[in-house]
Formats: sequence, structure tokens, C-alpha cells
Amino acid sequence: MSLNPYVGPWTKKEAAHLLRRTTFGATNQQILAAVSNGLPATVAALLQVTPVAQPLSFDAGETIVAQGTTWVNAVYPATQVANNNAETARYKSLAAWMMQNINQESLSITEKMLFFWQNHFGVSAVTEARAMYHFITLLRQNSLGDFKQLVKDVTIDPSMLIFLNGASNTVFSPNENYARELLELFTIGKGNQIGAGDYSYYTEMDVAAGSKILTGFQVSGIRSATMPSTIATYTPVLHNTTAKQLSYHFNDVVVANANGNEYASYIDIIFQQPQVANFICTKLYRYFVNYDLSQDVVNTIIPGLAQTLIANNYNIQSVLQELFLSEHFYYGTLRGTIIRNPLDMLFSILNATGTAPTFDLVGNSNIYLTIYYAAENMGLSYAQPPSVAGWPAYYQVPAYSKLWINSTTIKYRFDVVSGILFSGLTIAGNNFKLNTMGFLNALSVPSSAPDVIDDICDVFFPETVSLIEKTVLKAILTNNLPDFEWTLQYNDYLVDPTNPVMLDPVRQRLELVLNRVFKMPQFQMI
Amino acid sequence: MKRRQFVRNISLASLSLPFISDGFGMEAVNQKLFNFSTGAEDRVLILIQLNGGNDGLNTVIPIDQYANLMVQRADIIIPQNQVLTLNQDVGLHPAMTGMKNMYNAGNLSILQNVGYPQQNRSHFRSADIWSTGSLDINQTNGWLGRQFDATYPNFPEQYPNPTHLDPFAISMGSEVSATCQGLMGNFSHTVSNPLNSFNLYEGGFINDGSYFGYNVEYVATLINQANEYGARINAAANAGNTLSTLYDPLNSLAVQLRYVAQMISGGLETKVYILNLSGFDTHDGQVDALNPTDGAHFKLLKKLSDAVAAFQDDLQLLGLQERVAGLTFSEFGRQIAANASFGTDHGDAAPLFLFGSCINSGIIGPNPQITNIIHEQAGIPMQIDFRNVYASLLKDWFGVPAQDVQALFEHQITYYSVISGCNVGLDDIDSGKATALVYPNPTPSNFTLKFNNITNGIVSCEILDLNGRIVKQLFNQLLEQGIHHIPCESSDLTQGHYLVCVRKGDQAENISLIKID
Repeated sequence: MSLNPYVGPWTKKEAAHLLRRTTFGATNQQILAAVSNGLPATVAALLQVTPVAQPLSFDAGETIVAQGTTWVNAVYPATQVANNNAETARYKSLAAWMMQNINQESLSITEKMLFFWQNHFGVSAVTEARAMYHFITLLRQNSLGDFKQLVKDVTIDPSMLIFLNGASNTVFSPNENYARELLELFTIGKGNQIGAGDYSYYTEMDVAAGSKILTGFQVSGIRSATMPSTIATYTPVLHNTTAKQLSYHFNDVVVANANGNEYASYIDIIFQQPQVANFICTKLYRYFVNYDLSQDVVNTIIPGLAQTLIANNYNIQSVLQELFLSEHFYYGTLRGTIIRNPLDMLFSILNATGTAPTFDLVGNSNIYLTIYYAAENMGLSYAQPPSVAGWPAYYQVPAYSKLWINSTTIKYRFDVVSGILFSGLTIAGNNFKLNTMGFLNALSVPSSAPDVIDDICDVFFPETVSLIEKTVLKAILTNNLPDFEWTLQYNDYLVDPTNPVMLDPVRQRLELVLNRVFKMPQFQMI
Repeated sequence: MKRRQFVRNISLASLSLPFISDGFGMEAVNQKLFNFSTGAEDRVLILIQLNGGNDGLNTVIPIDQYANLMVQRADIIIPQNQVLTLNQDVGLHPAMTGMKNMYNAGNLSILQNVGYPQQNRSHFRSADIWSTGSLDINQTNGWLGRQFDATYPNFPEQYPNPTHLDPFAISMGSEVSATCQGLMGNFSHTVSNPLNSFNLYEGGFINDGSYFGYNVEYVATLINQANEYGARINAAANAGNTLSTLYDPLNSLAVQLRYVAQMISGGLETKVYILNLSGFDTHDGQVDALNPTDGAHFKLLKKLSDAVAAFQDDLQLLGLQERVAGLTFSEFGRQIAANASFGTDHGDAAPLFLFGSCINSGIIGPNPQITNIIHEQAGIPMQIDFRNVYASLLKDWFGVPAQDVQALFEHQITYYSVISGCNVGLDDIDSGKATALVYPNPTPSNFTLKFNNITNGIVSCEILDLNGRIVKQLFNQLLEQGIHHIPCESSDLTQGHYLVCVRKGDQAENISLIKID
């Protein structure tokens, strides 16, 4: 196991593994395309930030911009009630937009990286919908870029300034909330406590100094009836201009006053410590490979990635490229190590089957909102992590991703699957149901029962399932009849594809298969 | 239901020692007064986690430090005339009327300055420490999880089974509790609404020892448990009852505690219930800028206090009060000085509440000392190690032998007498379930001692203060066998907590007495 380039077989199995880890679900055809394009080209294609359109207003609570246009740079209504209604409408639009972006056809790592950064910075949508949109856009556009610059940008982003009290951190009274998390969670990470207030890589003294360094930023325009966006401004009189003494972990550096740029100098100082690269690479490793760090990973893989990151001026893309091209990433026992988070579980089903709502703007938005709420019920409220540390599944030893599943959420997962598969979700008269037939028709050989089952297993399971399990699935598909009966039924359907007499049995058999597949423990992993 | 038996085997010599020293209840002597383990198998522990780090100084207010608190936190301090006084030195936040009434009824105790050595101010690390009951970074199992592991090996594979049909712990909501993390699984079963039915599907699998194999096995086991435990919980909740009218349906904690009461009364044999109340990370807006008794902290404490009071009321109406004890905890307290955002930053120690009819009610530990100089980042120093509170609960509430409790913790345990005689009902004496009680309690003037004398003999009785000093000798005389109602003079006592000590031969019983004006 090393970071040397992977030179082994490049089959559906390896390609599906790469796509499972880097996207929210790929179709059978997309997996086959990755196989024929080869590993380097597939990685190069994945590591591109895809553009997205702006969120559009759809809810009646929005009274400033017209339905179907964007509100991201629009003022708010002046009266309190209308202002509240507009905010609710904008959050709904934002939530639906975020779900729609994940429900995409093109393959890119962007959405998985956006989620990584949301988890990393832990900002919850509490300030304002516009500010949150801009914060998400900041993370999205820089999701593969310069990590150091991203930390700087996030530090003075209005959402973050409000979320971690940076905006009330002044020379008159430091508020150390952001200064602490900047070190503990965002850059260098917290080590063992090796002395009073000493956390291996920084001390309480650095937290106190950092809070002084970061003083002076304020936020204005929140839900303003006159300002088209919230902005962060630096106010010199609120800045602590004294010299700030850092601890021995930062070579006892004294940070001289640099006014509104002092935060950037401070972040530069933090990033001089190689532990920063180590910290973020460990987090990336846990997110993309495995939560459990073997000695080999700690001694070789992560230092190797960290070295690459530093050598490339903290460019995240460089590290991910090395990781996804490495032999380590394709090591057999590292498949199926991560339990799907609720969004991964939902969109793996939708995206792999080519399912997306096809109603009008309001109809589609309400479907996406329902999906958002479904994920929330399973423990993942997108853009609203439970704390600044993100979701416990990414940091809580020893359970990690196991935390996504417990006896309540597993039940809910199954209920949602049943809903999408069988009855469909009916929202405001629109019925949203899995694109079962579209999925089937796009498989390699839909008329062959064994091939259908093979493709399904390739798409949905991280590991080869047993022959017995495949036989069980095939028996459900064929209703325990010989394989050729399925072939006949499917061919009859092809002759008369809209005739329910031919269509329904095919569809129903496949739905029953998928119902089992999505409720098998093996499906819950990537 | 099994009940704690009245006890025996006390040597008078040990009674002559003060059993309270340094203001803390020391276990050494008291332990012999009661055989707590009897009936432990029926007992239930409620843990309420206050997520975010609760500001102890605005929760339990040290009135004698008020002038210096004004220096430290003028922006957020509760006006002195609005503090709910418990005694001349200690008061509660005005939102906590429910818990104040519980205190007066002897159903609440306050442990002051609880924390651990070298306080860590990270939410995540500190919550880990509280959940594991260990300062060791490598300890990943919860304090309850370790005890469950020791008692119920091979969890989760061999559970549920015919002798253990019910989950060992229930975490209300959708997250399992880190306190119950065991070696191989988490002992807490999540329940959002116990009245929902469960009927899940399970697939087959073989664990080949890989990460994937373990993940599959984990999910499959959970699916299996969700089926079996779900049916039990559902049946218990449907069979159970709830009688209190105090639950506010808009108070999420109250709603969850109501479900808990329903499950307990329905016969579920779950030993631990874990609940969460989030939002205590009050860096800003802890109090309303214009009204320091309103704001985020007020709402949280009201939610907590109202819910706990309703739950206690319900337990008493259901006759379950002797089976249930509760504990609140938070990862840390907050700094002494307020920040400029009408809030407080991460601090150190804080008070912890215990509630129930069988806890040793009162205030354990002195008020924190506040100076008139603001020291940057200063928190309240720790005096009581929370791990000792956990250990004391395991030993005295669940009857775990002391050597087994010690084996669960890395540090040398000091026990506190957090569990005491239950506030038994009058009927319990007639039916022989209890031996002595005082009523009315709390008492504004004099009280009556109801006492079941099992054999003819000399019985003495005295009132002790919490430092173990005899405040008043009540009587010392020959009593015939039978139930006695003995009037006792107490109108001359100042308000506060006392113990009424009844002795006969080498046996003794202490009954908590609260004197009010």
C-alpha cells in the first residue's frame, strides 16, 4: 500500500469504487464510461468544479423578486412579517437548490467536496439566506483550490463572522469563539493536552492572542430592506492594535499590528506549521478512504499527502489527484469502509437510476424540499450541522460513520425507500417515483435476468455479494421462474411499452428487487 | 416492586464521627447506614445532557458573592431580587420555579463546582471526557457502556434474549448516546416516539473480518434489534400510563420525559434513559440586552426545570418515584466574566443537579468564590470530580460492588453520598415497607415523626446539620413495638437542610428534613 500510481486492473469494480467515493451516485453507463476512459482521464474529469445556476424564488412568501428569478442579491421587505416570510421562502429555495445540485447528471467531485467543507467549517444557516448562499458559493468555487486562501476568506465571511461571534469580537472585549475553532477545528487541530491549556499544537495563550488579532470585523445588511447583500467591514477603532504574543508552538512569534490584514498574517503563521497539512489530509483521508488509520497510513500515506499539499501551496486538487490515482486507494480491504450518510444514501438511489423530478419550478422545488427534510429526519440537515465541529459521524471515535445508522434512522431509511419505490412521494399533487424503467432500460442487457442482477450489484454494492444473495435477487426478479421467462416478459414489454399489462409486471418485479437491495446492509456502505 | 429495606448494622462509634466533612457528603460512614443495592435491579437512571456548556453561575447563583459577580458580569447578572432563594447563600435562576419546588420537597440536590482536573475547553473533547468518564484520550467507551460490558458480555450479538428482552438504555431522539458506547456496540437504543410501531426487514450476511464485513454485521444487527426492541418498547408504551397535567406539549424535553414515564410505568426494564437539551453554548444573547432575566438561557432553564418538575410529579402520581433518579450534566461551565455580547465563553466547573425522591437532597459543596478582579478567561475551579458522582451513582443506585466500580475508572474514586433515604409515603410505614418518615416536609414549624418500632426498645432521635453536628436532641426513651406518631419541636430551627437521625441499638436511619420559614 502506497501512494505510488495504481497500475492494476481497471474494471467496473475499481471504477465504481472511485465514483462511489467521489460522487453522489453514478449510473451503470457512467461506470462503464469511466472504465473505457481509463483512470487518469476519469480522475481529471472528476476534479473539475461544475458551475451551477443561482437558486430561484418559488415560494409565495417571497415578495421582492418575481417567481422564477433569483433573490441572492435582492433586498428584504421592510415590514417584519413580510421580512420573515421572505426569509423562510429564501431558505426553502436555498434548501431545494442544494438538493437539486446534488441530483445532477454530470459526474464531478464538487458536491462531495462542498459537503466536506460544510462539515469542516461547521457553519449553520443561522444568519440569513443570502449570506448562507454566498458562503456556500465560496466553499463551492474554492472546493478544490487553495486551502490557506479559503481559510482566510472564510474567516471574514459574514456568515462565519456571525456564526462564531467574530462580528462581536472587539478590542473592548475579545470573544474567543472563532479564534479557538480556527485552531482546533479549521487549521492545525487539537492534539493531546500536554500541560495546562496546552493542546500539543497550540495553547490557550494562542486562543487569547488570536481573538485579539481577529478583532475589528463587523457585519451589516442582515435582512436589510436597503442593502442587496450582507457585507463584512473592518472598523479600525474596534481592532486591538497591541502586539500579540503567540506561544512556543508558533516559535514565540509576536504578531505586530497589521490592522485589517492582520488576520491574514496570522493565518500565514499558522500555515507555516506542517501540522496544518497533516490535519487536513487526515480529515480528507477519513472522508474519502477510511476512518480507521493504520500505522502504515499514519506513517506513510498521510505524511505523503501532506507533503504534496505543502509542495503545491495548499492546493487541495493536488492531494486528491494523488490519492485517487494511488494504489492505496484501490486496495481491496478499503472498499465498503464507510457507511453512507443520509444524502449519499438518497441520491445514490436517485442519481444511479437517473431519477429527477420533472415538474414545474414549484413542483420540483417542493420535491427537493421533501428530500431535504427526509435527510434531516435521518440525521443530516444539509447546511445545518449540529455543531461547529460538523457531523459526529466525521469525528466521533470510534463509531464514525456508524453513527448515521441506528435503530431509528434505519427504520426511516427503509420507510423512505419504500415510499420512493412503491407509492411515490406525492407533494402538492405531483407524484415523484423512482425511474425504475429508465434505469432498467439503460442496463447492459435488460432482457437477461442474470445480467440485470449483476449490473444492479455493480452499481449499488461496494463489494461482490455472494452467489446465494444474487440467486435470491434473481428469484425475486423472475418470481422464481426460469430466466427465460423474464426475457419473454421484457421482450413483450418492448413491443408494447406503454401497455400496463406488459409494463407493470416488469416494473413491479424490479421494484421488489430494488426494495431488497436498498434494505440490505451491504447497500448502506460505500 | 422491590423496595430498599431499612437498614441495620451500624456501629455507634462510626456515628460519632461527622459524616460530612469539608462541606461534602463523605460516603465512608453513610454507606453503612443503608443497603442501597437491595432493589437496585428495578432502578432507573435518567441522564439529561445540557449540550453546549451551561453557565453555572447564572443557574445556581451564589448570593453571597453577588457584589463581586456584579463586577464580573454586570451585563448578564440576574437582579438579586429576582433570584429564587434556596437559603441565604444560594439561589436559582428565576426560570427554575419547578426545580425550586422540588428542592423544597427534598427531591433535588445541587453539587457545586463539578468538573475534572485540567479542564479542556473544547466542546468535543470535554463532552468525550464526560461521556467516557475518563481523561484518557484513548478511552473510547462510555462510562455506562463499560459497566454494561462488564455485566452483559457479548453485546450486541447475543441480545435481546429471553432474560434480557428490553434495551439496557434508551436514548431519546435519533442519536445513540456516547455514554453507552461499549466495546462492540452501543448499549443505547434510540427512540423518537415509543408509540410508533417497528417492523423492519433484515438481509443475510457473512462477516469476513474486513471493514466492510464489520459494517454489514453492524447494520444487520441494528436492523434485528430495531425489530425486537421496537416491539417491546411499543408494547410497554402502550401499556404504560402518565398522570401529570404539568407537561407542556410544546416543551420538547417534557414530551420526551413523558414518554419515559410511560415506558417505565408500562414495565420496560430499561435501566438508563438519556435525553438531550441543546443550545447552552451561549457566547452571545445568553440574556436579553434589555432584560437580563429573559433570553436564550432563561428559555433553556425554564424548559429544563418545567420538564423535570412535571416528570417528578408524574412519577409520584404513578407511584414510581422511588425507582427513578436523575442527573443533569454539561461539558463545562462558562467563564466568570461576561463577554461583550451579553454572553459567556467556555469555562471550567459548574453545578450539577440530581433529582428524585431517593437522592440525598440539599447542596453539596460550598459556593464558588468570586473575586472583584477580572482575570481574563478565568473559570470556576473544580472541587468535585464528576467521575466520583458517576461512581457513587453506580455503587449506591445500581448496587455495583465498590471494587467493580473502581475497575471502570482510571482514577482513585472518592464516593459521595448522593443517594439517601427515599421520601417514603405515609402508607409505606403502615404496610411495613418503610420504617420512619417526617411530615410535613418541608416544614414551616413543628413536624411529626412517624416511626415503626419493630421490637420494644430504647429509641433516640436528634436533629443534625449538614456538617453532622447535633443541633437538637429530640428524645431518648423506651418505645413499645408498633407505629408511633411523635410530635417534634422544630420551630426554633433556622431555615435550611437538616437530618433527623433515629437510632436504636446499633442501627440508625437518617431522614432529610427541610425547614422553611
